[in-house]
Amino acid sequence: MTNPLAFDFMQRALVAGVLIGAAAPLVGAFVVQRRQSLIGDGLGHVAFAGVGLASLFAVEPLVGALGLTLAAAVILGRQGRRPAADLSLALVFYGGIALGLLFLSRAGTGLNTLMGFLFGSPLNLDWGDVAWIAGLAFAVVIAVVALYSPLLAVAFDEEAARVAGVRVDRLALALTMLVALVIVGGMPAVGLLLVSALMVVPIAAAARIAHSYRGTMIWGSTIGAASAAIGLLCSFWWNLSPSAAIVLTAIAANIVTAATASARGKGAVS
Amino acid sequence: MSAAPAASPAAHGPDGMGEPSLVALDRVTFGYGRSTVLQDASFAVSPGEFVAVIGANGSGKTTLMRLALGLLRPSSGEVRLFGTPVNRFHDWYRIGYVPQRASIDATIPVSVDEVVRTGRAAHTGIPRRSSAAEREHLDHVMELMGLDTLRRSPVARLSGGQQQRVLIARALVTAPNLLVLDEPTTGVDADARVILREALAHLVTHERVGVIYVTHDPEGFAGLADRVVEVQHREVVPCDDPSAHGHSHVEPDLEPDLEPDLEPGAELGE
Repeated sequence: MTNPLAFDFMQRALVAGVLIGAAAPLVGAFVVQRRQSLIGDGLGHVAFAGVGLASLFAVEPLVGALGLTLAAAVILGRQGRRPAADLSLALVFYGGIALGLLFLSRAGTGLNTLMGFLFGSPLNLDWGDVAWIAGLAFAVVIAVVALYSPLLAVAFDEEAARVAGVRVDRLALALTMLVALVIVGGMPAVGLLLVSALMVVPIAAAARIAHSYRGTMIWGSTIGAASAAIGLLCSFWWNLSPSAAIVLTAIAANIVTAATASARGKGAVS
Repeated sequence: MSAAPAASPAAHGPDGMGEPSLVALDRVTFGYGRSTVLQDASFAVSPGEFVAVIGANGSGKTTLMRLALGLLRPSSGEVRLFGTPVNRFHDWYRIGYVPQRASIDATIPVSVDEVVRTGRAAHTGIPRRSSAAEREHLDHVMELMGLDTLRRSPVARLSGGQQQRVLIARALVTAPNLLVLDEPTTGVDADARVILREALAHLVTHERVGVIYVTHDPEGFAGLADRVVEVQHREVVPCDDPSAHGHSHVEPDLEPDLEPDLEPGAELGE
């Protein structure tokens, strides 16, 4: 078998994939507990509009995606979790994908590039892209570690956290912004349509075998990083779509942990 | 921990002298939409006092507590905590709150220790780890609530009574001066009721914690309460014979099923 590490493009893909695969589930843990598993998907749509806007003005796509996604995070953060927020969420998200398509077609973007934004193109990264992704992943890890305690309090019991003096609204905003960072960081590796899977799927797998929140986060991060590495290697050896291979590896990890949990007699966590 | 807020004369105890009331609601009115739940209701608790709040299901007991804790804003009247208007109150560590609930929602596994520590979330983080005194207090609270052997257990595996003790421990972890318990014996077995009674007796006698005990079941506080009040016909009135108010006592349902995230415009911002 050919050694994948002999190729520069595989080295870059592995570094970027493993970093974002490890960072994404750390944010996913809080998103899942707050029952906002699909928020990443929605922000991915917004990032698509950002990429389109950037292409129109010949700016780096990551910059456009980051700007617009963070702006959407702030707007959504202000909406809070009121019932009306659900509808405005839908408007923002569909508007995002429609605008993205509009901008990208105006900018004359080819189908391959467009597919790269939606489904990732980890084998085409240069070291500059990898540095960007690494920066975003490290920012996410540092923020999660610094905010761990209040984030857990809010994810677990928002009302009690408020009475305990936690600034719940600010924390919710911070969490949405972290989701935005993960989306933008994961875009080049797995694409906007699949990056949320890296937040949620490893956590779902980890929740079946862990006994604590911290344990779930550590297991989730490990499963995310391993899925990225294994998925990329599989895609190299068997000529598969890299992002599909990464996400399907994470889903396979779910099946394995579900089997482990039921063998142990522990109830499955849905 | 910061110093106690300067006492304001308006919120002093019933005699207008000495320490301010732990909580004081003065002619408070509140309603959901067109239905008025409380009208010119007044209620105060002095330091070290155990006050039981009874009333039929839907009479407005939980609304009264949520107003007292600043989770709802009254349409008229004033709420003070430790002499400070609730919107300017910052010393939340002085209050422990055990919300009414059926069971702990643990989509992701969370250990007893982790849940209890979230009670201190506003005061901890990587920049400030817990001190030796705080760890000692945590051990004390765990022992008091009979949780010392369960600290590493996932809460989802505990009984209803054990879960309730976890939530009470979370409320006690900042060594509060006021403990607010909303229906603490819901879904709790007989053994846990005994532990709860002993713990409350200890807190009142040895630690001079003021307690507000909200319930529709007068058995839970018999022999503990200094004073019993009833939420009745939109007011808070003294109650001389709580045993007359059993489960059969029913009032028209003024209080909607409380879903904290869905109240129209009633949530407080930051």
